[in-house]
Amino acid sequence: MLTKLALAGVKNRRRDYLVLLAGLTMSAAIFYMFANLATNQAFIKANAVVQSASIVFGFGAVLLALITVVYIMYANSFLLSMRQHDYGLFMMLGAKRKRVGELVFLETLILGTVATVVGILLGILASKFLVGFLLDRLGLHLSHLVSFYLPAVLFTAVLYVGLFILASLFNLMRLMRTTVQNLLHADQQANQPKVRPVRQFIAGLLGLALVAVGYWAMAAIEQLKLTAIPLALVTITLGTYLIFHATVLAVIRGLRRTKWARKHLNGFLLGQLNFRVHDYTRMLTIVSLLFAMALGAITVGSGYHRQMPLVADSLGDYSVAIHNPNAQQKHWMGQLDLAHQATYTQKVVGQTTYYNAAELKRTPYQQQKYSNKTNATPKFYTESLAKFKKSGSQSMNFIVLNPNKLGDFKAPKIVSAAAFARLNGKTYTVTTLRVKHLANDLETLGKLSKSEQRRFPAPHDGSLVVGTYESYQMMNGVFGGLEFIGYFLGIAFLAMLASCLMFKILSGAPGDLRRYAMLNKIGVRRSLMRGGLAKEIGILFAIPGIMGIVDVLFGLQMFKPLMSAPMSPYLGIGTTFAIFIGLYVIYYLITLGLYLNLVMPSETLQD
Amino acid sequence: MTNAVVDVHNLEKTYGKAGERPYTALKGLNFSVAEGEFVGIMGASGSGKTTLLNMLSTLDTPTNGDVIVNGHDVTKMRGNQLADFRAQEVGFIFQDFNLLESLTAEENIGLPLALKGTASRVMDQAIHQVAETLSITDLLKKYPAQLSGGQKQRVAAARAIVHQPAILMGDEPTGALDSTSARELLDLLTTINQEQQMSVLLVTHDPFSASFCQRILFIKDGQIGSELRRDDQDRRTFYQQILTELGTFSE
Ligand SMILES: Nc1ncnc2c1ncn2[C@@H]1O[C@H](COP(=O)(O)OP(=O)(O)O)[C@@H](O)[C@H]1O
Ligand SMILES: [Mg+2]
Repeated sequence: MLTKLALAGVKNRRRDYLVLLAGLTMSAAIFYMFANLATNQAFIKANAVVQSASIVFGFGAVLLALITVVYIMYANSFLLSMRQHDYGLFMMLGAKRKRVGELVFLETLILGTVATVVGILLGILASKFLVGFLLDRLGLHLSHLVSFYLPAVLFTAVLYVGLFILASLFNLMRLMRTTVQNLLHADQQANQPKVRPVRQFIAGLLGLALVAVGYWAMAAIEQLKLTAIPLALVTITLGTYLIFHATVLAVIRGLRRTKWARKHLNGFLLGQLNFRVHDYTRMLTIVSLLFAMALGAITVGSGYHRQMPLVADSLGDYSVAIHNPNAQQKHWMGQLDLAHQATYTQKVVGQTTYYNAAELKRTPYQQQKYSNKTNATPKFYTESLAKFKKSGSQSMNFIVLNPNKLGDFKAPKIVSAAAFARLNGKTYTVTTLRVKHLANDLETLGKLSKSEQRRFPAPHDGSLVVGTYESYQMMNGVFGGLEFIGYFLGIAFLAMLASCLMFKILSGAPGDLRRYAMLNKIGVRRSLMRGGLAKEIGILFAIPGIMGIVDVLFGLQMFKPLMSAPMSPYLGIGTTFAIFIGLYVIYYLITLGLYLNLVMPSETLQD
Repeated sequence: MTNAVVDVHNLEKTYGKAGERPYTALKGLNFSVAEGEFVGIMGASGSGKTTLLNMLSTLDTPTNGDVIVNGHDVTKMRGNQLADFRAQEVGFIFQDFNLLESLTAEENIGLPLALKGTASRVMDQAIHQVAETLSITDLLKKYPAQLSGGQKQRVAAARAIVHQPAILMGDEPTGALDSTSARELLDLLTTINQEQQMSVLLVTHDPFSASFCQRILFIKDGQIGSELRRDDQDRRTFYQQILTELGTFSE
């Protein structure tokens, strides 16, 4: 009988359950996808790109797990807020506490298990399509990427079901401890937080100081090394909490005394916020951090990738080097916007490549001058022959010009024209080409590089990259991988933070349902109510959003050493921010839509 | 009758969505309330009292008939007009108080004025005046959670009359109160009615509450079954008369 009643209760709130289930399913799916990437040994081993980023993956997985815990906590409180009235009613009607307790436990667990199973299935599907798609877009071809990986499935299942068992136990305890009266009227109790100005002032100052330490730690990552990250994480979390705790409430209190507060629904809005922000401080802190991490991950990831062309021209002495160019290759060369071109004759005797000094004197080999000035356009210089013999000719850029691509080689030698003529060996010519801007000639360079690799393949132990074009391609792969992780984590964080916020806000719906019904009765226009709700929820979204943006702006300092000039973690962040904020706003609108649906009284009493 | 604040003609209300069995709660109701009158509406539980009050206060729309409140044809109003009508023309006291727990008593009382955009100083004056009338001046800074039922209902009454509505309506306002608080509230309603000449329409199933009214209408089977006038009787006598009426009424 009680089971039947409980099922009827669930049925009545189909929509809320759907929201909850959808959120949990999505979270499990995201977690599975990430776990699959992070734990799949075959995949990690097979891809150098991933290997180098494995720390990032590991760090991401830990963060994701932590956030999942928090996420499930909020989802659970949403569930409880929906159900406690029903549970209270059952008990009032004489159901045994124990029996109701079993019901609570089962309900939470069933919901969690369903979400986990569906989530993992969805994750497997998404791994197959979404991850492949993302990688493709970034021009990465990673081998051994399977969508179904048993350890990842188990890992996800154990974590989620484990967390749900905890959540069920928590709900059970809550229920056993709370009186029936409190269960029935939980959403009607107003806890008016006490204000202690001195304490709050101190807390605010302390918060500011902590956040400052966190920001400093991120900027000083070169001195602090890896300790910077946990230090920043702890201080910023605590600091943000204290700042919210101290200021938001004080600001609301201050506003409440103004004349503005006495117009239309403003007073009600402030009352609502006052009533909630305290309760929300912890969540707003977490959300602001999530926001920062999501935005940070995407900004850094895409920043690397986007800024590659900036460094592309400073990667070496020439863009491509072509041996014995044929007609087709010559045709392609003609299409390049060249800054410099030189052709040298090579004779290969045994393991040594010989060059003709006369040729090198006529067209000296141009080398790049390395500088660490920001945004400097790369400069090139030449050396006298004597000097070149000692230094320039021994540089990697020059060495890999041999047709063998470093496979089985000895240092190249430069000999006089007469000696060169006397040498008995296979003769080649090599043409080095440097374009003005690599980014502008990528296509033609690609064709040239491919045909060169086909005609003069590098042996197994040879050099992988010859010329800036190939370096560019390789770095593109690595940074593309970083970008992928950035996007992946960013989207995952964003999705979770938004649904955390959504659950927390939606948990307040039953209480607001009554409040807005009251407002409707005393004659508040519907447009005014809608506007009020939009403002209230908007503020709850805006506070962590603003804090998150500030965190990111400071946090990007951390990547300065990694993205040295002419790259900069701050370059072109405007677009990334705009897209991200756009997504956030969409989440806000969805939440608002759901909320309006939940709490706006119908035009007439009959619905 | 001259200067009717409320005029109801042939009011009909049928509940039930398409596909459900319709239920007619009000079947052609007629009555009016004169300006300054204190009228009670009595009837058994489920007789349609709340339904009637919802029609009067535009919270719900009638299936048929006319409702005119303070010269406005309520049935012809739409959207914002409805909300504005509720905000300006009627004051409402509910059984469950309907106070916003996130606002202080003062803010709750000021809400109808804030909605109208009243200047802050005028608002303060009005709030303090009404608070004095209802002796709740010392409760103004408190939140509803810190008030007793009787105090809450007095705050609700203050909110209902602070903007000088044409009529004050109450749906079983004493329903959730103990007898002392109930009596205090009814005395207050009488005072408001007499001193401010505000029309009061009180819906109740409780004969004691009804005995404070000047005239009582009895609803039965969705219509006004009978009517009692207090005239010059004292309250006790009137109370007895109501009890007698109820006895015959229910047979
Ligand atoms: N929204 C509704 N939908 C269907 N029936 C309703 C609705 N509201 C009230 N009723 C029915 O109309 C009748 C009158 O109800 P109500 O006006 O609340 O009575 P009272 O307030 O006198 O106790 C009852 O039989 C009730 O079941
Ligand atoms: Mg009723």
